[in-house]
Amino acid sequence: MANAALAKANLHALRQVVAAIEEGRQHTGKLEETSARDEVAGRLALGVEAFDARLEGGLPVAGLCELRAALTMDAGAATGFALALSSLVQERLRPERPILWISEREAGREAGLAHAAGLVSFGIVPSSLITAHPRRIEEALWVAESALQTEAFSAVVLEVRGNPAKFGLTESRRLHLKAREARLPLLLLRQAGEEEASSAQLRFLVEAAPAGLRRIGRYSAPGTIGHPAFRITVEKSRNPAPFAFVMEWNADDRQFYPTGHRSLSDAVHASGAAHPHRSPAAPADRPDRAAEMGRILAFSRAS
Amino acid sequence: MRIAALDELAARVGLRLGQGIAEARACLPDLDVIEAEPNADARLLASLADWCGRYTPLVALHGDNALFLDVTGCCHLFGGERALFDDLAARLFHMGFEARLALSATPGLSYAMALAGRCTVLPTGEEAAMLRGLPLAALRLEAATLDGLAQAGLKRAGDIMDLPRAPLARRFGPDVLTRLDQALGREGEPVSPRLPVAALSAERQLAEPVTGEEDILALAQHLGGNLGETLTQRGLGGLNFALTLYRVDGKVVSIAVRAPAPLKSAARIAGLFRERLAAIHDDFDAGYGFETIRLSVLTTGPLDPVQPDFASVGRSDLSLDDFVGKVEARLGGGVIRVPVLNESHIPERASVLAPFSRDLMDGSPAAAWPVRPRPMRLFPHPEPVEAIAEVPEGPPITFRWRRTFHRVSRAEGPERIEAEWWIDGEAAHPRDYFRIEDQGGRRFWLYREGLYGVGALPPRWFMHGVFA
Repeated sequence: MANAALAKANLHALRQVVAAIEEGRQHTGKLEETSARDEVAGRLALGVEAFDARLEGGLPVAGLCELRAALTMDAGAATGFALALSSLVQERLRPERPILWISEREAGREAGLAHAAGLVSFGIVPSSLITAHPRRIEEALWVAESALQTEAFSAVVLEVRGNPAKFGLTESRRLHLKAREARLPLLLLRQAGEEEASSAQLRFLVEAAPAGLRRIGRYSAPGTIGHPAFRITVEKSRNPAPFAFVMEWNADDRQFYPTGHRSLSDAVHASGAAHPHRSPAAPADRPDRAAEMGRILAFSRAS
Repeated sequence: MRIAALDELAARVGLRLGQGIAEARACLPDLDVIEAEPNADARLLASLADWCGRYTPLVALHGDNALFLDVTGCCHLFGGERALFDDLAARLFHMGFEARLALSATPGLSYAMALAGRCTVLPTGEEAAMLRGLPLAALRLEAATLDGLAQAGLKRAGDIMDLPRAPLARRFGPDVLTRLDQALGREGEPVSPRLPVAALSAERQLAEPVTGEEDILALAQHLGGNLGETLTQRGLGGLNFALTLYRVDGKVVSIAVRAPAPLKSAARIAGLFRERLAAIHDDFDAGYGFETIRLSVLTTGPLDPVQPDFASVGRSDLSLDDFVGKVEARLGGGVIRVPVLNESHIPERASVLAPFSRDLMDGSPAAAWPVRPRPMRLFPHPEPVEAIAEVPEGPPITFRWRRTFHRVSRAEGPERIEAEWWIDGEAAHPRDYFRIEDQGGRRFWLYREGLYGVGALPPRWFMHGVFA
């Protein structure tokens, strides 16, 4: 009797181990189970603590999130934010799989097409990005849905212009469920669009924010344009109070920082890897450079 | 107006080709006149050539009223030469064509036989005897040559076959002998097919015509399975596929798809056709059904055999190709694009969106170039802006773009990019690029084209891209 009970317990333990292995490898459970687990895991921390805390741990890595640019001229910032998020997902969760950027033809005409050299200077390898240019919104939705059914991509960005009637609540719900099932992030990049009821878990309003100064070694070069900065307003989330946050993307570290932050790579430059903690000797043939006047501790808020 | 073609009845009454309409009407008052449409005739002949593809892939057009079918090696599929000949004749007759068919060892002889009205299958070995009795006019010679031969009293091919060759060539030109040799098979005459001949094809003739898309796809998958075995043996994969559907009423529908990478799996080939059929759904008219279905592989590419492993690591790659194939089959080629770096300093040439292919995913040599600040999105056509600069060569302080006024808070630049004289010519203007941040924090890439004091026109400003 006791032996039988022991065997049963052993069997149960083994089954648990098998289940854990299977869970780790692929997800086969139903939707309800997924949503229960999403509460704890399945979030991608952006590395900006205050922001992550307000989003309950970061960006959900499965399902639909909307990034909205109110004006076409903010499309550059919104694109940058969307691609930065996707590349973080790619790097941390699914390396080796490309990002798919679906962009309606009209959206590309109005806000420009992906530029490989620009992607490089933004910290994204161009060959890790695939773009799709369907003519109409229905085709774009179909491409997005097909992409969510394959296992080929690490993240899908769907760019639409304005608030098309053919992309309403039903369609967004459908895409959200598909993305959730596929455990893929689907980022809806809406250029020149209004706020609209949708099934997106989160909606951000993305605007450009004045960038910090470019750092050369320990110094900030005046009048220069440094790392791109974004002003993100969370319009829809579990957290009822809307809030805004300014953060910058460091293309060298491939990491978000709060503005004014001195990143790891800047610190390395500043310490001068060859001569740590030593300032260069005064030149003999000309006056020594002026000593630094104080130090910038924080920039004034951009908002 | 003159008569370009006439039917049997009119010919019997005595009308001739080239006769004036007024004259013909005088002979036959209730004449039915239809205006000639050479283009429509050519289309009809082309569609008939497509239809003849059911017998052989080598179908060539000749002139405006003849087709050559090279049925070498195809006859046994129809039960012999005679059976093929009868089948073709019967089908053409039922479609309402008055066709003169002849089958012999050479295209030249077949043509001459058909023209002379000897519509039959000529057994091997009787070529010379047959040709001997045919008129020279059937030998595809030029009118002037024929006139010359007729003046010499030479009217039948038999008249010149036994003549010494050298004087004949001297007097009437080399064409006479060439045509004679071609008809007798002493000289080869290749038939150049109208459509490229498929590398491989598999065909299924159906007892009962099919109309449903699902049935067609199931057949396509079945045929794909047959082709897959041959492709595996050859170590190849198909790149371009065509599904040819022969409708019972003679119309031929051809559906072509392209795979992003060589493939041989029947299910994936059928999957491409599924998307294509879904895309052309409205234009796809099954009519009374299709009686013959053929799947052809038009081009092939080497397919490295991959041994699947237990962890199926390579699976994600396969599904990427599947995805691209599916999207391009439905939405057309060029929908999926990959940004690629090129070795150029001109921004619009430095980066292009190239159609997807596997090779592009490995990066390019230009990726080793130093990284300069470049916009995330580039406008396909630079947009003119009205800009005001403090000093002529300096960055703008305000500009107006798309009817919106921007005040510049910071600017980096200029970065001068000279035109590529070997492409744009010597007169092309250099561009001075400025990276600009306006007071709202938006970052743009503006450039000034041209220099002050050079040329008649003042420099102009353009918006070329937006930064993140």
